[in-house]
Amino acid sequence: MALIGSEEQLKDTGDVAASARDDRVEVREVSRTFGAVVALDRVSLLVRAGEIHGLLGPNGAGKTTLLRVLTGLVDADSGHVRVAGCDPAQSGRALRSRVGTVPSGDRSLYLRVSGLENLVFFARLQGLRRRAATRRAYEVLEAVGLQDAARTSVGVYSHGMQKRLSVARALLVDPVVLLVDEATHDLDPEAAATVRGLVQDLAARGTAVIWTTQRVDEIRGFADAVTLLAQGQVRFSGSVPELMAHALPRRYLLRLLDARGNGAAPDPVLAAALAGLGSIERTSEDATHFVMSLEDDAVLGDALAAVHAAGFQLLSCRDERSEVEEAFLALTREEGS
Amino acid sequence: MIDVPAEEGRLSILLGEAIKLPAFARRDMIVAWSYRFAFFSDAFSLVLQAFLFYFVGLLVDDSKLPEYGGSQVSYMEFVAVGIALAAFVQIGLGRISAAMRQEQMIGTLEAILLTPTSPATIQLGSVVYDLIYVPLRTAIYLVAIAIGFGLHFNLDGLLPALIVLVAFVPFVWGLGLISAAGTITFRGGSAGVGFAVAIMTLASGAYFPLELLPGWLSALAVLNPMAIAIEGMREPLLGTASWSQTVDAVLVLVPLAIVSLLAGVFAFRQALRRERRLGTLGLY
Repeated sequence: MALIGSEEQLKDTGDVAASARDDRVEVREVSRTFGAVVALDRVSLLVRAGEIHGLLGPNGAGKTTLLRVLTGLVDADSGHVRVAGCDPAQSGRALRSRVGTVPSGDRSLYLRVSGLENLVFFARLQGLRRRAATRRAYEVLEAVGLQDAARTSVGVYSHGMQKRLSVARALLVDPVVLLVDEATHDLDPEAAATVRGLVQDLAARGTAVIWTTQRVDEIRGFADAVTLLAQGQVRFSGSVPELMAHALPRRYLLRLLDARGNGAAPDPVLAAALAGLGSIERTSEDATHFVMSLEDDAVLGDALAAVHAAGFQLLSCRDERSEVEEAFLALTREEGS
Repeated sequence: MIDVPAEEGRLSILLGEAIKLPAFARRDMIVAWSYRFAFFSDAFSLVLQAFLFYFVGLLVDDSKLPEYGGSQVSYMEFVAVGIALAAFVQIGLGRISAAMRQEQMIGTLEAILLTPTSPATIQLGSVVYDLIYVPLRTAIYLVAIAIGFGLHFNLDGLLPALIVLVAFVPFVWGLGLISAAGTITFRGGSAGVGFAVAIMTLASGAYFPLELLPGWLSALAVLNPMAIAIEGMREPLLGTASWSQTVDAVLVLVPLAIVSLLAGVFAFRQALRRERRLGTLGLY
């Protein structure tokens, strides 16, 4: 199936210039306030063609505002924005025939209309005539695996199906830039993986993707680069491994038994065993679960060996939170930039 | 504002925008048909309304009604045109205002604004179904009560009446755009629309002759575009098809329609720009 737009489609959209592609997203020193609230404070980022850029941040960090600036729905107070070679504030029409958007939530589809008719409607607003719009709608429905539900009202779709339909709508224009806002926050893991797979396929074809999320583990193995926003400011910009380097302190969940196979000994014995390496405290779950925090320069193997040497049986050891999550928390807790 | 890329002519953009309108009409037709009960209850309420006025008409002395083409008309004939046009104004104005609000509420307004579609097309598209459906509904209503209650309409007057209606439509649309702008800006406005429709209808002569109003209000009412449109339709439908009277009505309505339309387009664009500047378009 051809997801890349044909000559006919380019003509239909009246945007032959789209063939001269500038596929990047460039944001420099962009600021935006709403009254006294600073939504974006000198935010910069660069997303290249074929790159999935994770835009990470807690609620209210400014992620959605940034996407709205990129689509021209909100004007920036200051700064420089180029999306696929267009300034969103000046060239909305040219921009919108080249950029796909997957909004958060389900409130952007006509629930009493079938998936097919939803897509045909939006395809026609992209300038396709009815026959071409219908053909394109079927193509993208097949691409997202909804061809069997094409004539079903969107209102009876599951969340996952609605999200896939939203992705399908973004694919109508064969986007050079795809903006995805919290696409998986209300999906089960399987549906979320399906949506991520669709986006990865698109990136593999050269689309620049901005993927906003607050599900921090989602970006590991998925995003090529990450920008972390908090309170409208960029707190981190770089690769996922670089982000994980900020994961301090390291915390591990241990399950221990003493030498007799009972619940582990009182905390002071364990604390003494870990002296100089870190600290340990019992969780409230039961007598066998502990959270161990390591010092910056401590090695996990040394700490586990010390626990073992003190006469404890180590039944399991795992990250209490992922390194990405640790980094997220560490960076968003920082005051100032 | 429609952005005009250098390589695209204004005409091709206008054509490109025009071919989007059937998509809006089809979407709204599907949605309307999905609410079949509302569709049929609307038709049923029209029948009930006709019976209501039929019985009220039995109390009215026809000699107190104006003559059209030198002939005395019955109250049912007199009020039928008024009911039809009042319903047209009420539904038309209400829908134009509500369409944007509805898009905003269900969250599809932003999705539409993310397509290369001009705000004017979005606005017109949101009501294009109603602009087709409501006049059709009006015509069916008039024909049905004419047959059902044995009313006498001058068939030669249909074309002049239709021309008056067409001249009046942009006036309603302009008001609707102003109302839609208010709705986007203030997140409300249905009450304002209802009030405007009530005032305009009261002083329109739709249900009773304007001469029954107090003198000062009667004098003002003859300037009401709705009153001009109603009388402009009654004359040919109930009296004689005098083209000069039709031309007189159209000559008054067209400038008012242009002013209303321009004011509406300006207000609507300003409302959208304000929302973009404030970043509050998605709020409802």
